[in-house]
Amino acid sequence: MKVLIIEDERSMALEMAVFLKKGFYLCDLAYTAKQARQLMGENSYNFILLDLGLPDQDGLEVLKDAKKICPDASYIILTARGDLEDRIKGLDLGADDYLPKPFSLLELLSRMHAISRRKSGLNDSRICLGDFTIDLVKRLVFFEEKEIDLSRKEFDILSYMLLHKNRPLTRLQLGDHIWGNYSDDDYDSNYIDVHIKNIRKKLAVHASVDWLQTIRGIGYKIKI
Amino acid sequence: MKLLNKLTLYTTLSKTAIVLLFIFLLPLLVKDVAFQYTNSSLQEKKKKVISTINKNGIDYYFQGDSSYGSYTMLKEEYISLEPAGNDYTRDTIETSRRIVENDTLIYRVLIHEFQYRNKKYILEIGKTIAEINQYNRPLQRVALYALIGLIVFTLLIDLVFTRVLLRPLGIIINTKLINRKFPYNENIPPIKTSTTDFKYLDDSLIDLMGKIHDAFDKEREFTSNASHELMTPISILQNKMENLMVDHDLSEELQERITGMMNTLNRLKKIVRSLLFISRIGNDQFVKSDQVNIKILVEEAMKELEDRLESKNIRFKLNISKEQTLQHLNRDLIFQLIYNLINNAIRYNKDEGEISITDHFNPGKSYTLFIEDTGIGIPEKELDAIFDRFKKASQIEGEGYGLGLSIVKSIAQYHGIMIEVKSEYGKGSIFGIIFPMELLK
Repeated sequence: MKVLIIEDERSMALEMAVFLKKGFYLCDLAYTAKQARQLMGENSYNFILLDLGLPDQDGLEVLKDAKKICPDASYIILTARGDLEDRIKGLDLGADDYLPKPFSLLELLSRMHAISRRKSGLNDSRICLGDFTIDLVKRLVFFEEKEIDLSRKEFDILSYMLLHKNRPLTRLQLGDHIWGNYSDDDYDSNYIDVHIKNIRKKLAVHASVDWLQTIRGIGYKIKI
Repeated sequence: MKLLNKLTLYTTLSKTAIVLLFIFLLPLLVKDVAFQYTNSSLQEKKKKVISTINKNGIDYYFQGDSSYGSYTMLKEEYISLEPAGNDYTRDTIETSRRIVENDTLIYRVLIHEFQYRNKKYILEIGKTIAEINQYNRPLQRVALYALIGLIVFTLLIDLVFTRVLLRPLGIIINTKLINRKFPYNENIPPIKTSTTDFKYLDDSLIDLMGKIHDAFDKEREFTSNASHELMTPISILQNKMENLMVDHDLSEELQERITGMMNTLNRLKKIVRSLLFISRIGNDQFVKSDQVNIKILVEEAMKELEDRLESKNIRFKLNISKEQTLQHLNRDLIFQLIYNLINNAIRYNKDEGEISITDHFNPGKSYTLFIEDTGIGIPEKELDAIFDRFKKASQIEGEGYGLGLSIVKSIAQYHGIMIEVKSEYGKGSIFGIIFPMELLK
């Protein structure tokens, strides 16, 4: 998978690249609209991550042109402007998603996966997790074809952890993911414990959930 | 009391007092005038009588009698003539009883001593009091009617004039004070008046509001710019920490410390994000054109929050009697408002507590949604401050109220919604969200 990161803030672009490379993405960086156009002309990309606040051109204009140069790529707008109007315009112009800064890299990756799933069809959306199977598209959890009833948020947490398996996730990162803009403060993250407890209780009836680990002082991790 | 009403009352009372005084004084006045007039007319008559006597000779009247008394000479007044005694009688005018032609009546009498051919005589000219006073009553009545008429007329003119005079003040109060909503965005033209006091008042108000508006604008702009500038470094820091976290060589101890750093950074991020959000609301960046069924909205917010209810074992009662639809508002913002208030009701509640949501419809005026909790309550002296940014309730450890209620306040202000708080420390709070008529459908 090839990703083009168009972001004028260099250290930010670099951090994104470092993170995505660990997920086996190949990343190109462009710090200006001009560089971006050049790179888009030379390569083809699966993902284009576009910051709207570029020094030489308005990001939305870049998006308009980019859609012509690389029509097959998936576009995610990254912006600190956060205007509602930008969001609507961006999505109207054909962006696949929109992430207001500051965002979590985990969230970025999760959005990219969601876009991939949406675009690739439903086939490979079943993932094994210990003795359980998880259908990310239909949002179901199975134990030997028997469906286990998880609440919406429980499923969100489980699938997010599964996506970032073998990485420690803080309560905050999980809270950010499931409450997004509505999360008020870090007080919310206490409720993550409640959800994890419920997930364990519901799954442990059927089989061991040793893979769902608590990391003291940090949060949780799915280890497979 | 309004100035206009005060003036009206004052004018009416003062004119009524004048009328009453006049009614009281009029009979005395009329009587006095009538007497004065009678006195001088009696003097006139006296001259006439004396000259007539001189012409006809006094014996013409006495005709052998010792005295003469008759109405014949003057028709309206009687005269009497008699020789005077030795005592000198001064000219006087008095009111006294006389018997004339067998009638005893009260007269206004002029007594005059005069000489005729070296003999002294006393002349009396009298006019009955009844006759003098016969026009008093009708005169008084006419005078009174005329006065009342005039008073009513001037009163009407006064009232109309005060009304016209005070109209600019009313306009100033209505347009510039009562119906203005902070932060005084809209431009209201200066009023037209020739009264310099009102002009000065109006100009001062416009000037003051302009200053407030500018100051508010600057603060908003600063908040917006500063928050925006802060976002990028926060973003970079967050991503750097996230990358560190997934570094496999990292010990758990270091991971824990990074988690702590991330928590702190997150607090910063939330604050900046909330400030930006508030300044965006202030900047009119949200369109107010949605229609919302309030019950559905509350239920949605509850669904978002039901896990929190469960974990604290809080009973929840939703008792919204009316399926009220609201209009001219931004759905996301109203959702956020309700979400924040319910979230607080859960957060500051006791375990096994209760939250109840009810509503009240005040026909023609407003629709109120009440969110009541059985939580820790708010001490009275802190009630005013809870909506202020960064004010912290003393008894709460950790973050205090944060910016959640500031966001609520901004959203409410943006829509013209009033928020009313009643709270008893240790027992719970009631937040009333008062939607004005314009927002009701």
